[in-house]
Amino acid sequence: MRRRDLLSPGFIYYALLTLFLYAPILLLILFSFNDGRSLTFPLKGFTLKWYEELLGARELLDALGNSLVLGLASSVVATALGTLAAIGIARFNFPGRSAFLAVAAMPMVIPYVVLGVALLILFKTINPDAPLSLWTVGVGHVVINIPYAMLIVASRLAGFEANLEEAAMDLGLTYWGTLMRVTLPISAPAILSAFLSSFTTSFDEFAVSFFLIGTESTLPIYLYSQLRFPSRLPLVVTLAALVMIGSVLIVVFAEWLRRVGQPAARKGDL
Amino acid sequence: MEHRGRIAVLMTPPVLWLVLLFLLPMAIMALFSFRAGTFGAERDIFTLEHYREFFQNAGFQRLLWQSAVTALLTSAFSILLAYPIAYFLAFRARSMQLTLLTILIVPAWTSYLLRILAWKLILGSNGLLNSFLLSAGLIEEAAPILLYSRAAVVVTLVYVWIPFVTLPIFSALQRIDRSLLEAAADLGCAPWEVFLRVTLPLSLPGVVAGFFFVFIPTLGEWVTPSFVGGVEGTMYGNLIQDQFVRALNWPLGSLMSLVMLILVIVQIFIFSRVVRLSDLAGV
Amino acid sequence: MKNDRRVRVWRIAGLLLVIALLVAACGGSAAPVATEAPATQAPPAEPTGPLVLLEWSGYELPEFWQPFADRYPDAQVDFAFFAEDAEAFAKVQTGFQTDLVHPCSSWWKLYVDNGLVQPIDTSRLSNWSGVRDELAVEGQFDGQQYFVPWDWGYESILVRTDKVTEIPDAWADLWDPQYAGHVALWDSGESNHAMTALSLGFDPWNTTPEQNEAIKQKLIDIKPNLVTYWVDFTEVPLLLSSGDAWVVANAWPDAYVTLLDEEVPVEYIVPEEGRLGWVCGYGISSKAKNVDLAYEYINAAIAPESMAALSNAYAYGASNADALPLTDENYVKLLQLDQPNLKARTVFFQSLTTEQRELFTSQWDDVKAAP
Repeated sequence: MRRRDLLSPGFIYYALLTLFLYAPILLLILFSFNDGRSLTFPLKGFTLKWYEELLGARELLDALGNSLVLGLASSVVATALGTLAAIGIARFNFPGRSAFLAVAAMPMVIPYVVLGVALLILFKTINPDAPLSLWTVGVGHVVINIPYAMLIVASRLAGFEANLEEAAMDLGLTYWGTLMRVTLPISAPAILSAFLSSFTTSFDEFAVSFFLIGTESTLPIYLYSQLRFPSRLPLVVTLAALVMIGSVLIVVFAEWLRRVGQPAARKGDL
Repeated sequence: MEHRGRIAVLMTPPVLWLVLLFLLPMAIMALFSFRAGTFGAERDIFTLEHYREFFQNAGFQRLLWQSAVTALLTSAFSILLAYPIAYFLAFRARSMQLTLLTILIVPAWTSYLLRILAWKLILGSNGLLNSFLLSAGLIEEAAPILLYSRAAVVVTLVYVWIPFVTLPIFSALQRIDRSLLEAAADLGCAPWEVFLRVTLPLSLPGVVAGFFFVFIPTLGEWVTPSFVGGVEGTMYGNLIQDQFVRALNWPLGSLMSLVMLILVIVQIFIFSRVVRLSDLAGV
Repeated sequence: MKNDRRVRVWRIAGLLLVIALLVAACGGSAAPVATEAPATQAPPAEPTGPLVLLEWSGYELPEFWQPFADRYPDAQVDFAFFAEDAEAFAKVQTGFQTDLVHPCSSWWKLYVDNGLVQPIDTSRLSNWSGVRDELAVEGQFDGQQYFVPWDWGYESILVRTDKVTEIPDAWADLWDPQYAGHVALWDSGESNHAMTALSLGFDPWNTTPEQNEAIKQKLIDIKPNLVTYWVDFTEVPLLLSSGDAWVVANAWPDAYVTLLDEEVPVEYIVPEEGRLGWVCGYGISSKAKNVDLAYEYINAAIAPESMAALSNAYAYGASNADALPLTDENYVKLLQLDQPNLKARTVFFQSLTTEQRELFTSQWDDVKAAP
């Protein structure tokens, strides 16, 4: 982006909206330093005690770890399945194609509570004694995320001509080689987009998780059950603040990595 | 059918997963709507009792209609607000695209519940907005502005959904062939005409995808209405959740979900007569 | 070149993945406590754990079961949390494997009738003698003790004394138009049924169909007075301290003491029709795998020190009267934790039948759906 793009209406709008999105979270961060148990103004004084308490809250940290692993694993599977499906429907015609599209889109239409219960009944019917765990939750999350992943990638695939793939095959690549070397790289932003979307959904998902989880906890489930006790709220807020700060740091780090890898000539543009 | 092998390899995993882990449980759910009770002996008795109960209840149906309107408003506003961002990211951001997009998504990684709570902090009687208005002398007494109403539900949901709606629109805009836009300009179109006649229509599949992205989950929403909806903001989803979690009346809950599901499928179907279903995915 | 950028995207993605995995690994390994060998001292006759509890979140604090931790330092205790009784019941009914459950009294009969809990032999609990009789009797069905009461408290009205001109002193006052737009009710069919029944002079657990209709209509009538329904308990202090609500109904004691801590001027009323009361307690699942450990845990939980820790943390009542000397005097006074006859001014929730529960919830849904 050039310097003058910063003042363009587009960027100003982006900046304002992003600020609007972050404002409540910045507020949370503010309250994580507040020396009081209630989330109301006026503020009562600066303290770091919530952060200290948080470090000792084992269940909370376990839940956080679980959510991260769950999010990653389920997003990888959902994105993979969604991408396969996207390539299938975008490039081929086969009987049942529209039917598949309709069915694949359906998880978006089901209230998650329903999906959770349905899957629970299914698991219990297959094997009543099998324990529920993060795996069972993962299954639910994948089901939820397949439609979004598929639609995002398919949307992108439709944009570039199948000719490119034909050309690559004419030049000697096998079909699968073409997928790896042409299709997937070109769809990379969409695939990443789908992955991000799946991860975000899974990380914050509550309804399906609730029914399918065993004795482990994910972050949203732990948070929601903590909300029952007013005195625990500051701790919860502090965690949210940390997650926020952590995410921002990751993004900044990734951006720095990207910059570092860029050839010198490009440094002329911002 | 050409390329059977390829299709088989590509489609089998997703198809298997969806049939076994989605269609099957859904069928079980549909069956549940005919059961007399949730647990024990009652469960094995089949009846139309709940169907009768639901279709005779005017309150439920009215609530369903109202929830649909709320969902519609939320989707419309989300798209209106997200489109300019997607446009900016697709056409102006160039090398910063991914970063700016991620920055936009990051708030979504904070707990949804807590973001709503924080929103209440701003709008509540003791909150930022009130403190500001009071000190500026614009109001005399603090009151929860924009809270505990249907409007609050829409505003909060739009706030939550904007990052998500941006993604499909951005995707669609990204894949528009830039040469088409250049051609239009060469043929004498002013920039706004290029937008209206070329960019917008080509981005429509992404917009429609974004619309349903928001509309459908919002229809079944219950968390936001229970936090900021107050008394008039109760939505259909709250009742469904009640059936599954508090009333433990799974048959009725299943039925209510089925009704909602059918409504949405009908909508998508009607829509697909106007816009081809495959255009939804842009394929 | 475009190609390089794409490759870079993959590299960044890969890096992000690695970082996230590292964080997850670190988060996961921050778990100190016992995952090691089973108990070596006083080995029970059966496999030792993990002991699984289906528990209200917030009750896992070690000071609530310290004697157990002291006696079996190597025993692993796994908590599965829930936020509402109905959730817990649904989990157990659909086969969730647990040793102990912790429901509240209005659900106790349902657990017994569905064969989900086994009778408890109170002679195995050395601390049982301290448990109040009037609470213990609630957990008895068919002459057997199925639940050991643990925590109890009130459901009552919290008022911002500085915002209202007249402080309410009855459930019926909630309908008073002077509070219009500033009353908040709990989103619970059961509780609202109970308090409305009391305000109309009915017995909440034995209402006739006409009385039920009257209750439903009364709850629709109160809607103009309401600012919102609250769902979870953190909302109660927030509603009152922010001033969004002046009168909050069916509030629990922990909200009261939180607000007092924050120096918000509130009063916890005793309505003339009677406060509502709840008692919750432990039951041993009929499919429990670690029955002996379960007994040990319950005994540790009802020990005076553990019970006092509960009262001091949340201002809830302890079922073991021996805990009173160890409890914060302030809380004892504020909430009359030492009253000899609990049921004199407090109407405790009775066990509901499935039909009653379904009725109350569907009526409440009708109330919420009404314009």
